[in-house]
Amino acid sequence: MMELSVRLPLARFPLEVEARFTSASVAVMGRSGSGKTSLLEVLAGLRRGARGRVVVGARVLLDSAARVDLPPEARRMGYVPQDALLFPHLTVAQNVRYGARGGRGARVDEALALLELEPLLRRYPATLSGGEKQRVALARALASAPDLLLLDEPLAALDVALKERVLPYLLRVRDEARVPMLYVTHQLGEARALAREALLLDGGRVLAAGAADAVLGSAARGVLAAEGNEEENILEGVLERPEGHGPRLRVTAELALWVPDGPGVVTGARAAYAVPAEDILLSTGPLSGVSARNVMAGAVTALEPAGPGGCAALVDVAGHRWVVRLTQVSVDELGLAKGMRVHLAVKSAACRRLR
Amino acid sequence: MTEGLSGLVLFTLTVAALATALILPPGVAAAYVLARWRGPGKGVVETVLALPLVLPPTAVGLVLLEVLARDAPLGRLLDGLGVDVVFTPKAVVLAGAVMAFPLLVRSARAGFEEVDPRLVAVARTLGDSRARAFFRVTLPLAWRGVLTGTLFAFSRALGEFGATVLVAGNIPGRTQTLSLAIFQRTQMGRDGEALGLAGVAALLAFGAMYVAEVVSRRRGARVRT
Repeated sequence: MMELSVRLPLARFPLEVEARFTSASVAVMGRSGSGKTSLLEVLAGLRRGARGRVVVGARVLLDSAARVDLPPEARRMGYVPQDALLFPHLTVAQNVRYGARGGRGARVDEALALLELEPLLRRYPATLSGGEKQRVALARALASAPDLLLLDEPLAALDVALKERVLPYLLRVRDEARVPMLYVTHQLGEARALAREALLLDGGRVLAAGAADAVLGSAARGVLAAEGNEEENILEGVLERPEGHGPRLRVTAELALWVPDGPGVVTGARAAYAVPAEDILLSTGPLSGVSARNVMAGAVTALEPAGPGGCAALVDVAGHRWVVRLTQVSVDELGLAKGMRVHLAVKSAACRRLR
Repeated sequence: MTEGLSGLVLFTLTVAALATALILPPGVAAAYVLARWRGPGKGVVETVLALPLVLPPTAVGLVLLEVLARDAPLGRLLDGLGVDVVFTPKAVVLAGAVMAFPLLVRSARAGFEEVDPRLVAVARTLGDSRARAFFRVTLPLAWRGVLTGTLFAFSRALGEFGATVLVAGNIPGRTQTLSLAIFQRTQMGRDGEALGLAGVAALLAFGAMYVAEVVSRRRGARVRT
């Protein structure tokens, strides 16, 4: 579905990317300045001097050998830059309609609905919050009916207030609009929640590429932990409310999570929750008499270094993989090892709703 | 044809407007190129374009006169086409246009420089050609600069004297504008009449400059990102 073979000289190193992807959602990860944004710009046709071959779907966008280098307007890429770059002289509605010409009108309504922009239609970009700008930029790209969305992560995702995070909307874009996407992020949890495949860049080169599970493991953790990125578990599911109880997120038939109650918690609604890897308690013995409402039994599938003195334990619970952040000291004291049976405890208050 | 005050005022406004209209397309193009182009020799080009601002207007008038003379290449070409410029109203327009050009370019260029080129890049990913993106993004965002420059240029053309008097003369009813008329009345000792005309000229200039001020002060009031 996508074939990349790109070379571009950058200020500090050359960008050299060779990769093939077959799925419709690919995460691009790497520390700041590793060439992620440059790669998106090459795909969008905004970097002159890029050489190689880029094929998206059945269309050849760049083929230096055959002297093919489509201009940006002919590439059908939905580019969503880091800082949104909305047209300041146009309203939200005009921004979203900007690229929707020639029978693409239906896409506008779909994009506006999907990103919940109806209340903002007449506002100007200067009056929007960061998260709102990002949603408008995403809608604008979607409404142009692109072959591929190119999304540059808005800031370091964890610094952004929960309600400002774009991830829940991206999940909807992936599942409802079904537009293929290439998504740049610093957040391992987001990448795992969103992507089927991943590309890990370091210093302009490919460190790993392929299935998300394989790429977003220890190599990615090692690269990203050096930057002090926190990690979180992201769970999607449907909200339910058993008789006489508070709300619960049904993730799979075997896995459900008690979550905090609140005004927006509606039975039957789809929702996504984030649980920071540091907020999970891990025990080697059975847990009883703890206040945490979510207690799950599972097995350690891997222990990976994560940052200085830190360790990430990957725990399989009913087929869902949790990431638990521990110190190396705890790992040694507990005698944790691969294959061990453990229990995880998560306070419902640690489950934070996205959006 | 320009008998009386109203004829004089109308003629002055008309030639200033024509001069401004004449330089608008090349002026906006030059401003855009100067704002975006980072090539060698940019400084030299900028300086040459700014020269009419600082040269004595009479020097500019003299150069125009030489270029348009019957024995100069351009003059010969125009003569062959049967177009007479020197000492006609066309010369008044031309002198005003040349003198006003740098003012238009300077303001318009400042307007274009404020437009983030990455906005244009985004417009192109949304399907716009270079030209389309210019008219949908660049120009709407730079319009205050362009409009301010246009009004400055118009005001400059309105009061042009030095270059005009050399290339168009001071022919009442044919090439005489307000500023030329003031000079002529003064020479003839009709100071009171000259003063009245000066008052009218001041009123016109005030109008144009006031609009330019208001427009430039409100620059970007809404369009901050």
